[in-house]
Amino acid sequence: MNIHEYQAKKILSQYGIVIPKGMIAYTPHEAKKAAAQVSFRGPWMLKAQIQSGARNKGYFTDKKAGRRGGIRLVRSRRDIMPEAEKMLGSTLVTVQTGPKGKQVGRIYVEAFAKVRKTFYASLVIDRMIPAITLLVADTNDEDITTLAILSPENILRVHLDLITGASPEQIQEVMEFLNLEPKVAKNLETFINGMHQAFVDYDAVMIEVNPVGVTKTGQIIALDAKMSFDNNALYRHKEISVLQDEYEEEDRELKAAKYGFQYSEFDGNIGCIVNGDGIALTAMDLIRGRGDYGTACFLNVKGGVDKDKIAAGIKIIMTNPRVEGILINILGGFLRCNLIADGIVAAASEVGLNVPLVVRFEGTNKDEAKDILEHSKLPIIIAEDMEDSVNKLITAMEESD
Amino acid sequence: MSILVNKESKVLVQGITGTQASFHVKRSMDYGTNVVAGVTPGKGGSIHLDVPVFDTVREAVRETGANASVMYVPARFVKDAVREAAEAELDLCVCIADGVPIKDMLEIKEMLRGAKTKLIGPNTPGIITPGEARLGIFPENIHRPGRIGIVSRSSTLTYEAVIETNRAGLGQSTVIGLGDDMLIGIDFVETLEKFMNDPDTDAVVVIGQLGGTYEEVCARYYKNLKEKKPVVGFVAGNAVPFGHKMGYAGDVITNGHVTAQDKQDAMNDAGIIVVNKINNIHAELMKLFSAHD
Repeated sequence: MNIHEYQAKKILSQYGIVIPKGMIAYTPHEAKKAAAQVSFRGPWMLKAQIQSGARNKGYFTDKKAGRRGGIRLVRSRRDIMPEAEKMLGSTLVTVQTGPKGKQVGRIYVEAFAKVRKTFYASLVIDRMIPAITLLVADTNDEDITTLAILSPENILRVHLDLITGASPEQIQEVMEFLNLEPKVAKNLETFINGMHQAFVDYDAVMIEVNPVGVTKTGQIIALDAKMSFDNNALYRHKEISVLQDEYEEEDRELKAAKYGFQYSEFDGNIGCIVNGDGIALTAMDLIRGRGDYGTACFLNVKGGVDKDKIAAGIKIIMTNPRVEGILINILGGFLRCNLIADGIVAAASEVGLNVPLVVRFEGTNKDEAKDILEHSKLPIIIAEDMEDSVNKLITAMEESD
Repeated sequence: MSILVNKESKVLVQGITGTQASFHVKRSMDYGTNVVAGVTPGKGGSIHLDVPVFDTVREAVRETGANASVMYVPARFVKDAVREAAEAELDLCVCIADGVPIKDMLEIKEMLRGAKTKLIGPNTPGIITPGEARLGIFPENIHRPGRIGIVSRSSTLTYEAVIETNRAGLGQSTVIGLGDDMLIGIDFVETLEKFMNDPDTDAVVVIGQLGGTYEEVCARYYKNLKEKKPVVGFVAGNAVPFGHKMGYAGDVITNGHVTAQDKQDAMNDAGIIVVNKINNIHAELMKLFSAHD
């Protein structure tokens, strides 16, 4: 789960990390009030609050928003309202949002912070160690991903101790790597260990501050902040779960999540129901490269064992208007195939079955499952293996055209 | 022989009294698995599925000599269950649950550093040595005893690989699901090492998928082996478009966006026979074993 920049900054500030003064605004009027509160004479930063990186290099699809990106510097107080007006309600597209973009519902109004130097910092889990790992780089305005590919030696990785965070030697290593003046050391330590403690306390999986600013006096300021959390640990962080921005999640995705399933949408026309990540990936691989066919969505019912929940999940796929054919591939281990069969029948009798549906069952209780489908008299095609299921579905879809 | 488990393994079940656990443990017993004890705190002294139930793992080990555990405990209790297994110095524990918090796994990995106990999982179908022992939730009816080792990160694709070995007219020595999660117990390298030393395994099927660099590390290990058995590899995830994401840290840690193709290339380069479709595994296995005859 992700949260917005202003929410992440608020959390980080509780750990002693310095952030520019800022306030959230949902309307141009609120933006004006916020600007007056955070700085007397400016300049100000207006920052679109969508959960994406590269907002500054993004573009708005709406004419009224003008040509500038999602992060705007405003020098005069009377420009705050018109600029906020342009951004609010407009759709911002970045390299991370996909072509549909995201609508900007709120902007963060911040006092502009004058800094001498900036750098990149993030905490993420290096699963090969495994350890919470600090990544820092002097980006010199270079894109951090470009740097990661072309000159990874310019990115420092520091594996932090889960309990104690960064050691004095590790702080020194970062100081030298970034060529920072000695007076910054104490603030850098507060910054790094603050990030680390927030990461551990809130079960984060990613914290990124890009850029971090260093002021003339040696202060360290988080000019941006992104935080992602471990969905599996949200049960112990109610205060984070309530920050979930439902707009940021696709509607069907949310519904599926409610039943404990995972759901993702793409731009093809085949709906897939599977019971594992690997099988989902493999089904998508098989569908790709078949002319006009592609994956519209997949629903991973994981180890679901409740027939009603499975029926609800299948309904989510059946009601996706993109779906022109449904492919069900189940390899039952923990999950019993007969429950899926019951779920299919229940869902089909409720919302109707208007598109071809091919099922392939293997594993636990597969024969019972096939019996259930045969007795249902529904026009369901049964396949023998994964490739066969894709072939049969595409043939059926061609015939129904 | 086989690796990690066989008919001699004395298996205890953590969380034995749950409904799902009972269903699968009964199947494992019917399959011939030597289940000697169950552990459910508060239910010590009772009998469930004809085996004695204890309050703690330590007690169960003392009374029955159990040396491996399969745990059917909910995700939030996994950390404590693994700690118990490690403290009782079991050889192996298998964790089926999905949804274990990453921080708990970081602590578990720390806990197991240098410990005797090996962890398989979490979020795995477990381990099965066909005809001898089933620790987990594998659909046992698809397995046949044989001489091909299988190791996979994906649960469901493990089953596909099993079916492929059957299609080739071969069977499996041991089949292991490493687990679908970001952080897992034993990895490809540890497993492959065991298969390479197992006199009853002639070749190995490795199933990888997107996320992390486990496959690259595995390929590097294999490349440097002096004596090696053939390995057939598959990596799922070529058709996955860039998803919605936030921030760059995930790509930075792996020095760029890692694709399934990158993983396949690493495997190819190491001398692993890479197939593009999972349904082609049987053909490669048949080529390998007709050439040997």
